[in-house]
Amino acid sequence: MTTIPYIDMLTVMIVFGIGLYTLLITRNLIKVVIALQILVKAGMIALVLAGRINGQVMTGQSIALTVIVADTIVAVIALALAVQVKKHHGTVDLSKLRNLKG
Amino acid sequence: MLNALIAAGIILCAIQAIRVKKLIAAALWLAGCSALTALMLYLLGAPEIAVIELSVGAGLVTVLFIFAINIIGDETPVRMPAIPPLVAWLLVILSFGTLAYLNLPLLEIEVPTLVTIPMAASSIWEDRALDVILQIVLIFAGVLGIINLISDNSSRESKA
Amino acid sequence: MASTLIFLVIGLPWIGALLVWLAGDKRTTVQHILAILFSVASGIAAVALLFNTSNATVINLDAGGVFGQFTFVADGLAVFLAVVATVIGSLAVIFSVDYMRGEKALGRYYAMVLFFIGGMAGLVLTSNLLLMFFFWEITALCSYALISFHNDDPKAVAGGIKALIITQLGGVGLLAGALLLFSQTGSYDFNRMIADPGIIDPRILSGMAFGCLVAAAAKSAQFPFQTWLPDAMEAPTPISALIHAATMVNAGVYLLARFFPAFKGVPGWTTAVILVGMISAILTAIMALVANDLKRVLAYSTVSQLGYMVFAIGCGGVYASQFHLFSHSIFKALLFLAAGAVIHSVGTRDMRQMGALGKQMPLTRFVFIIGSLALAGIPVLNGFWSKELVLEAGLQHGPIWAYAFMLLSAGLTAFYTFRMVYMVFYGKPSSEKHVHDAQPAMKVALIPLAAGALFSWLLAGPFSSLLHNSLPAHEIHAITTTEVLMEVLSAPATYIALAVVALGLIAWWQRQHLGGVAHAFRWLTAAAENSFGFEAINSGIVRLTQGAAQKLRTTQTGLLNWNIAGLLITFIAVILILVVGG
Repeated sequence: MTTIPYIDMLTVMIVFGIGLYTLLITRNLIKVVIALQILVKAGMIALVLAGRINGQVMTGQSIALTVIVADTIVAVIALALAVQVKKHHGTVDLSKLRNLKG
Repeated sequence: MLNALIAAGIILCAIQAIRVKKLIAAALWLAGCSALTALMLYLLGAPEIAVIELSVGAGLVTVLFIFAINIIGDETPVRMPAIPPLVAWLLVILSFGTLAYLNLPLLEIEVPTLVTIPMAASSIWEDRALDVILQIVLIFAGVLGIINLISDNSSRESKA
Repeated sequence: MASTLIFLVIGLPWIGALLVWLAGDKRTTVQHILAILFSVASGIAAVALLFNTSNATVINLDAGGVFGQFTFVADGLAVFLAVVATVIGSLAVIFSVDYMRGEKALGRYYAMVLFFIGGMAGLVLTSNLLLMFFFWEITALCSYALISFHNDDPKAVAGGIKALIITQLGGVGLLAGALLLFSQTGSYDFNRMIADPGIIDPRILSGMAFGCLVAAAAKSAQFPFQTWLPDAMEAPTPISALIHAATMVNAGVYLLARFFPAFKGVPGWTTAVILVGMISAILTAIMALVANDLKRVLAYSTVSQLGYMVFAIGCGGVYASQFHLFSHSIFKALLFLAAGAVIHSVGTRDMRQMGALGKQMPLTRFVFIIGSLALAGIPVLNGFWSKELVLEAGLQHGPIWAYAFMLLSAGLTAFYTFRMVYMVFYGKPSSEKHVHDAQPAMKVALIPLAAGALFSWLLAGPFSSLLHNSLPAHEIHAITTTEVLMEVLSAPATYIALAVVALGLIAWWQRQHLGGVAHAFRWLTAAAENSFGFEAINSGIVRLTQGAAQKLRTTQTGLLNWNIAGLLITFIAVILILVVGG
């Protein structure tokens, strides 16, 4: 039995869109990290799905594994950085953290 | 059918994760999102990935979030966001709309029958050895970075 | 054999640069010796290459997909310019031993000079257009580093940055030409294009032609880019002799000469080249009449003579232009080095503070006069023969109004040359300075150049057969030296030019009586002193760019959301291009 994966693809797109929208809107650093996590979950599903569609199941899954590892490290370090930022600047409000202003 | 339910669940959890005001609640919704993603991955035929995602996403990352939020505290900014929500929606929909337009022909494909293929350890090591090495390096780097950041923290506290 | 020689010609100066830098600034004698050794060795290798020229690709290094093959061809045009670069380079290095005695940071100086010599040799020897661009940029970098050598002097730094920006902007034209060539033919080798320009779409060919013209005009300080060369005179004088008279500014002329068979069919190109050469020649000749800084006069005259060469190429006389390039390198390097000797002993560049130096500096005066005679185009010296060939080519193939202007600037050349000689070496002394003649190392450098200015025209025959044998596409006829001499002596253009030069001489001699004429032209004098408004254009462009940059700073808000929105917008733009482009 073969199916056309409409639902899965749609899910991936919607969740990715939610993650991106949050990145554009939010002002809290922790929410940024949460949005990154949501993005990566959508990415993982997309990778495994693509692996199945193309017939290279193993490749898709191994890449998804790599993505999990990378994303976890990103979350860990981002949270540690957020804690340090709070200690140094006293706030995690993005509109106050503008040292890169040109 | 099950697919559709889980998909709806993921979307619901994601929306709730970003809408709630208290950060700890957001972290808990994220944990739910991870759990449902793990389920979906299992249904897509990748059980090992599902297990790893469950333990890492719904376990490790959530614990970390709770720790960090406890240290940082819950502040909720009251001002308007920098980019008007409408513009943000427009950008997101535009980018995905164009991507979807490019990918429309792909929707004619059909996915073959699902046969759960467990991922053999040999295939990870043989085909993607470089990947595994990079992941190990990454984990070490992450651990070292965390230790560095935390030790700075405590040494600064002791100085102050 | 030829491949080893090419490696030596390019590689020896580079190894020398590294060794001089590593020797450290504490061991200046070692640095001097190393620099002289490596530059002379490279000169010998280049001269040996003269006997091994051919049209074939000598070295072929595969550099992978997008860079193509790094090929080097030792044909006549390339080897002749490599010889000029390395030999005059070694003479300038020998001169620097005395000129830069006691300066700090000699390692940086010699390293940059040697790096430059290798880069210039590589520029002319390669037949891969991308590699030529790479060497082009190396020479621009070394030129900037050497102009700003005294980096605590704000004028020097400003001059260096100006030279860098103008020549780099021109380099963009060359890069565009290289990429267009790659997209049309799939390789960067321009010899195929020169042999048969029909393989390229005509519109693209004209784009490449004008891009190369812009690059050549910027590099050779031609109109409208001539403002950087006078300001580059803040460099130490051996550098002015080497880079800004004899080698780097010749790169533009080389480019035009190399690509002439390919571009001469492009409508409007030869006219544009003639115009650029002519306007540069006459404009800067007028500006040299009123300049008071010795090196500035020489800089203006360099631009003017380069205008002659560009004009000759536009008229189709590639041999005439290259012969004039050969003579000009010798006598202009001679003039600059002699001027360097004067400046080194007097301590100032202002000619109004010099005067009657001839008695105290006899050798310098002698070689300077030989150089000036060559510059003015007095018979027997090499400048005369080559300038007459250029003017003849202009008379035969170019429009008559261009020829008239070139003739006028020949007369002006004589006028300002003798003005310069008189103000420095004759007349009343303006200050009671005790000056000494050129020091030994300077003499060693000056004398071969003076001999060259007297005798290099004897090489006209072998030179033309060199070019004829190895450049089939350029259609250069091989003629012997006597044929060249006969041609020049029997052409009416020669005598017209001689008459104009004599007029220039007489005008200087009788300048008191010509006061009325000078008064009538005083609006021209004022305009010339303001460099005809080009400096104003330059500072206007700088102000505009800085203003625009300030306005653009508002987009860098430092806000994360803003940056991500920027990312998404770019992503959408790329996807849209893909959608529309199909």
